[in-house]
This record gives sequence, C-alpha cells and structure tokens, in this order.
Amino acid sequence: MAVSQISVFLENHPGHLKNILDVFELSGINVRGYSASDTGDYGIARFILDKPDLALDVLRARGCAATLAQVLCIRLPDKAGELARVMEAISDAGINVIYSYSLISTIIAIHVDDTAFAEAALQNQPVELVSQDEISKIL
Amino acid sequence: MLKSTHEIDMTNCLQGNYFDPEIETLPREEIRRMQLEKLQRQAAWAFERVPWYRERFLALGIKPEDIRALEDVRRLPFTDKQALRDTYPFGLCAIPLDEVVRLHASSGTTGKPIVVGYSRSDLDAWSDCVARLAAMAGVTRADRVQMAFGYGMFTGGFGLHYGCEKLGCMMIPAGSGNTERHLMMIADYKTTVLISTPSYALHMCEVGESLGFDWAKSGLRVGLFGGEPCTPGMKREIERRMRIVCTDNYGLTEVNGPGVSGECLFSRDCQHIAEDHYLWEIIDPATNEPLPEGQEGELVLTPLNKQAFPMLRYRTHDLTRITTEPCGCGRTHARMSKVRARTDDMLIVRGTNIFPSQVEDVLTGIQGLAPHYRIVLDNDAGMDRVTVMVELQPDAFSDSFEQIDHFRHHIVDRLRQALLVTPSVKLVEPGSIERTTGKSRRVEDNRKKP
Repeated sequence: MAVSQISVFLENHPGHLKNILDVFELSGINVRGYSASDTGDYGIARFILDKPDLALDVLRARGCAATLAQVLCIRLPDKAGELARVMEAISDAGINVIYSYSLISTIIAIHVDDTAFAEAALQNQPVELVSQDEISKIL
Repeated sequence: MLKSTHEIDMTNCLQGNYFDPEIETLPREEIRRMQLEKLQRQAAWAFERVPWYRERFLALGIKPEDIRALEDVRRLPFTDKQALRDTYPFGLCAIPLDEVVRLHASSGTTGKPIVVGYSRSDLDAWSDCVARLAAMAGVTRADRVQMAFGYGMFTGGFGLHYGCEKLGCMMIPAGSGNTERHLMMIADYKTTVLISTPSYALHMCEVGESLGFDWAKSGLRVGLFGGEPCTPGMKREIERRMRIVCTDNYGLTEVNGPGVSGECLFSRDCQHIAEDHYLWEIIDPATNEPLPEGQEGELVLTPLNKQAFPMLRYRTHDLTRITTEPCGCGRTHARMSKVRARTDDMLIVRGTNIFPSQVEDVLTGIQGLAPHYRIVLDNDAGMDRVTVMVELQPDAFSDSFEQIDHFRHHIVDRLRQALLVTPSVKLVEPGSIERTTGKSRRVEDNRKKP
C-alpha cells in the first residue's frame, strides 16, 4: 500500500529545483505532490510521482543524489477536523511522523520510521490509504 | 621464465643488496663526521670560486672557517631557484667551463629554464646515488633495464641510465614513446626492469592488455618510477597489472637529479637519502627555523660532492618529514617520507599552515564523497574562514536531513583533526565542482592581500 517517494539532494540555488522538474517533464513523469525544504545551504526536494521507478533511473543516470523512500498516502475528506483525526490515530499508535506534506486534492503523504507498522496501525481506523496505482492514475 | 603475482624472490631485496655496503651501513656518527668535513670543503669551494656565494657570505659576515659543527650549516645562505635564474646560464659555475662535461636543464614554467653543469666527478657522484637507489629496489648487475624516459635535457633519462650501467646492468636505451616497440623489446630482450613515469607504465599496461601481451609470462620484475608524482593507489595498480615491484625515488636537477633518495623494499613509501652526498635540513618554511626530527617541513639540501655548480642550502619547496631511526633493510641513512606537497601550495589560515593535499587525504578516506573538492578562503572581520565544498555521492544520500547533517559533522571532525583548523563543510550536488587536473584551481582565496 505504501507509495514510493523520490528524494533529491539539492543545493539551495536558483534553477536547481527547476532542473529536476525539467528532467521529469522530458521523461513524461507527472508530479502528484511535492515538498521542498532547506537547511540554508542545501535542501531535499521530495516528490510523489506517477512513475517513481523511472524517475529514480533518470535522475541517477544524470548523476543526481536521489533516493527512493516509502511513505503512506492518506485521502482526507475535505472537511474540518479530518487532518487532526488522522494524526490522532497515528499518535495513538505511538508512531512519530518524521515529515508530512499534502498532495493534490486532499491527500497527504507521511513519512514515519516503520512504514509497514504504521500502515497496519491505520488499517483498523476509518482512514483511506491511497495506493501507488491510484496515485499513478489521474485522480 | 614464469612468475605469479608478487611471488618475486625478495630475499636479496630486503637485505644485503647494497651497491656500496660500507657507506650504506656506516654508523650514524661516522656519517655525521663525514658530512661535516664535506660541508666545510663545500662551503670553502663555493666561497672561493663563485662570486654570487662570496657576496652572500660577506653580507652575512661569515667565512667558511665558521663552519665548525654540522649545526653551523644554519649560518650559511640559502639558495633558491631564483639564484639560478638570475645567474643564467653559467653564473654559479665554480669550475672552468672546459671542465664541465655535461649540461642538464629543467623546464621552467615561466621564462628561461634553469641550467646545471656537471664535472666528471659530479657525474660519478650522481651515478653512485642512482646505482644505490636501483639496488635498493632489488636491481642487480644481472638485470636488463629498459629506459622509457626520454633522454635529452631532463635529468631522468641520462641519470638513471648511467646509474644502472654503473651497477652493471644491461641498459636498453629505448627512450620514450612507441609502446608496441617497448613491449616487443620486453619480450625479446627479456627485460627485467622498467624505468618509466607511472602514467606511461599504466598506458603500457593498457596497450599491452589490448594486444594480448601476457605480463605474467614476461621477465619484468621491477619498476623504477619517477618524473611525476605516483600515488600509492597508482603504484599498487601497476604492481598488480604488470606483476612487478615498483619503487619511487626523489631528486631535482638543481642538486644533480634523481638519486637524492630512493625507496627500499623494507620501508615502502619512505626513501633513504644518500647522506654522504647530501646534507638535509627540515625547516619551517614560514620562519626558516629548523624543525625537530620527524616533524613535517621544507626539505633543504646541500650537496656535499658537487663541483661544477655547488649549491648551499637549496630550498626545494618540497614538504617531507625525516627519520634517522634504523631501517630493517640495514641501511643507516636517514629516510624521508614521500613528498606529497610543496610549500607553494601552502595556505596559512589563522596562523596554521594547511595544504590542499591534507584536505584531499581526509576526503578520499571518507565513504560517500567524490574526490572532487574546492577550498574557499574568506576573511570575515579579521577572522579567516575556510570552507571546504565537497560533492555528496548519490549512494550516500538518504532522504534524511539528520543523516546528511551527521555526515557533514563527521567530515568537519575529520578535517579538524587533520588540519588543526575547523573548516565549514558544504555538501554540494554530484558533478557540480569543476573538474581540473591542476591543484591550484581547487583553491579560491578571497581574503584581502596585505
């Protein structure tokens, strides 16, 4: 159920994020969601994509420092309190969220220590997990 | 003759293969006594015969008789490359030009080359030194030595040629270039020793391998390398591919050429200095003060048997450290470590000397870094700042700020331990640092010059 996320090590300079997006465009890779965060000198850009394996291959071929990590994607009904409800379910299971961001629509991506454990913990909850297949299709 | 990797008979290499057993194993007090006598003679020779030196002695208010102990060498003037340029071509010559039997030159990167003349006895002393370094590598009179250096003004070709000939080897003066002919000669003449630059030896490996040349079946067993720096990794690779033992040697045209020191098979990567021919000092290049034994500093050489172009306290600008501890090969002459850096590359940061080669050594020892780096120096309100930019390898990237930061701190720690200065480390994207072959482009000094 977990979804593949592509992370790229980037220096914090104009054009560096765009270069990565150009690579995706050239290979027909569609970005479903992303987050870019920095520490001053460098940052990590994280992407949820329709073709994550292809993306990793093309980035590696260009010599980029890119890696693949597993995240959980959860679809939230678009109403007040839904994000709080999901986070409560996660914290009740004693799971720490390392980072999280939202995708297109009201889907959020969450990266945790143990993806499989978190997935199991959420399956008993009224939470809608989204698969890679669904991510790859047009939502 | 068949051989397998490194199953080379080392018995007569490690011990006993001396060119001049008595001199090479002379007790240290006797070496020092001999050095003092020769230094006194050499100082008088330069003072009496070379106006350039006489002027400097007079300016310092000293006379050759003031050299009463070896330590008094510090009273003598230094000589550097500029002296040879200023007096080009023959201004430092101490004998009538009729008695000069050969000239060599070293190519200058700017302007005129520097020229050095040799008397018959200079050539004798020089070939003595070279015969010794060849013997240290296990070469004997039974060896067939193929020369892949060019002959010409450069000291490497003729220097190694006559030294090995003096040892009694069969010299094969093939010269540089024409790799296929070299391979044919190795096979047909059953060459056992190759003299070459390490990069040419690697080229020979590649050409040989593409032509199906079987190094294991060749008689080649020793490589004597020189002419350019040889990293330990390069040396190991050549040893593995050619199935030979390679040694390095050190020397410079200004003080004859190769033969100042050579690597024995016992203490690899350290080189015995021919101390009956050269008096060495290690000084702090910033203060010119002598440094204690074992500490790294600039090598200063005074040749002790040099007639035509005497050199007193020649500043090599090469950085090394020297030990007089006994060596397992039985030789008593001091050993210098392989020269990795020159004072010209030195950067002074907050009063501490640092070298790009130190940074390189640290970075190549850390997994996950590419050997591409850049050193940037800035001055921030009177405080020097060093920033080392290094490429993060794709394999070392892990989608975690925490791990990247941890990795960065690890690099800072390792650099601090080596440099004694705390640098900032900037991790940059793979491939983003400009690829250059020169060392100088790796440094960007943005500090205001005084």
